[in-house]
Amino acid sequence: MPSFLDRARTVASPGFSRWLVPPAAIAVQMCVGEIYGFSVFNIPMTRAIGITKSVPEDWTVAHVVLATYSLGLVMLGLSAAFLGKWVEREGPRKTMFVSSCCFCGGLLVASLGVRLHSLAVVALGYGVIGGIGLGLGYIAPVSTLVKWFPDRPGMATGLAIMGFGSGALVGAPFGVELMNHFKTATSVGVSETFLVMAACYFVMMNFAAWIVRVPAPGWAPEGFVPGSHSGKLITTHQVVADEAIKTPQFYLLWGVLCCNVTAGIGILAQASPMCQDMFGVTPVVAGGFVGLLSISNMIGRFLWSSASDFTGRKAIYVVYFLLGCVLYCLIPFSERIGSVALFVAATCIIISMYGAGFATIPAYLRDLFGTVQVGAIHGRVITAWSMAAILGPQLVTYLSSYQREHGVPKNEAYNTTLYIMAGILLVGLVCNLLVRPVDPSHHLADGGAPEAALPKS
Amino acid sequence: MKKTSPLSVALAFLVVALPLGWGLYRSIKNSMPLFTAGKPVAPAPAVPAPK
Repeated sequence: MPSFLDRARTVASPGFSRWLVPPAAIAVQMCVGEIYGFSVFNIPMTRAIGITKSVPEDWTVAHVVLATYSLGLVMLGLSAAFLGKWVEREGPRKTMFVSSCCFCGGLLVASLGVRLHSLAVVALGYGVIGGIGLGLGYIAPVSTLVKWFPDRPGMATGLAIMGFGSGALVGAPFGVELMNHFKTATSVGVSETFLVMAACYFVMMNFAAWIVRVPAPGWAPEGFVPGSHSGKLITTHQVVADEAIKTPQFYLLWGVLCCNVTAGIGILAQASPMCQDMFGVTPVVAGGFVGLLSISNMIGRFLWSSASDFTGRKAIYVVYFLLGCVLYCLIPFSERIGSVALFVAATCIIISMYGAGFATIPAYLRDLFGTVQVGAIHGRVITAWSMAAILGPQLVTYLSSYQREHGVPKNEAYNTTLYIMAGILLVGLVCNLLVRPVDPSHHLADGGAPEAALPKS
Repeated sequence: MKKTSPLSVALAFLVVALPLGWGLYRSIKNSMPLFTAGKPVAPAPAVPAPK
């Protein structure tokens, strides 16, 4: 691997502006966040042979979702968990480059899979290879930004993870435009679209790898004194990833993330049918509602996480859980009084806090465990996301179907599920309230110098 | 000491702001029917319980 990619070559020289790092982080996250908008390919991929309609030889939506979206998210969690320490050792530039090779290479393989009409090749490309790229691209920018913004870690992680939330806003219409351009009488245009997307994303991600830097050892922003942002939960010590997983705090934050994501993803996965069933709106109008949720998801990541720098991480999660619980209980009421506005407002705020839960967790980890291996610890915590990605949608789909089958009117079929989601948020609230500072026996022995914990390469 | 020029920072932000702005514009445009749609239709009747 060329030395240009080495961590040592990315140490910032004096005079480097840390404000060059957020665009790098957003660029990578925006590219890998394309997975959120992958659903635009579901229908065209089920017509790869029949073109205008699905024929028996075509794939089903369930198979496509399993081979791409679900497998990709599972691989994201696994690669983030297992490669986190490698990311810390090799630095963000090499990680972003490898991430771009995996993510874009995965798109190329998936393109070949669509052309050969082999779902196994699509799964290998987008799900496995692309999923590894997703995991690397997700954690590398976050840990880098946390180190550059010790004075505003919530804002920093909010910026980075806002980029991931924006992936669907950019990726979905981009995919649709390209498919419209490439489709012919004999092709739905998916294969060609993947090729173009791979090229564009590769350029964008390597632009990020080119401008990203890590701070020099001992660097701090002007006027910032370590430990000046005092709070019971903000440590000036360091805990390595292998030690962090021995602490109850790690598992409590895992539970916090899992509950927050389970509740939010359940709404996201069913947003369109829920809106149609509860208010009788058309699919087009429901599609607009899904767009609004994507915007709330993205903006919430930045705003709420930035606010956590002022309120403290524990307090802001109390808000996410309590306010979320109240809003979930308001949704059935909005249906009863027929208020679409109340429904849209409640769900948009819920989804903004769902996104914020993702964005605030790295700052929370940094508060408790320090910065030295925050990327690796973050990688292990986001396995909670993989779990929630299975739990949330299954819960909503199963319960609402069960209600309908037992004679509940379809506009009321979601009520029980919504109350259960409110209950899940209360479980998350308890996990959050139990978080205490990490026992000093887990702190790094040498007084907490971050460089001491970096594995020797 | 070579300082980063503010123009470089602005350009870097522009590189990500352009696609992001386009995506936002598309999403807002698509969500407009939600606010321009007429009065919501009455909820669908209950599905009878299976016998």
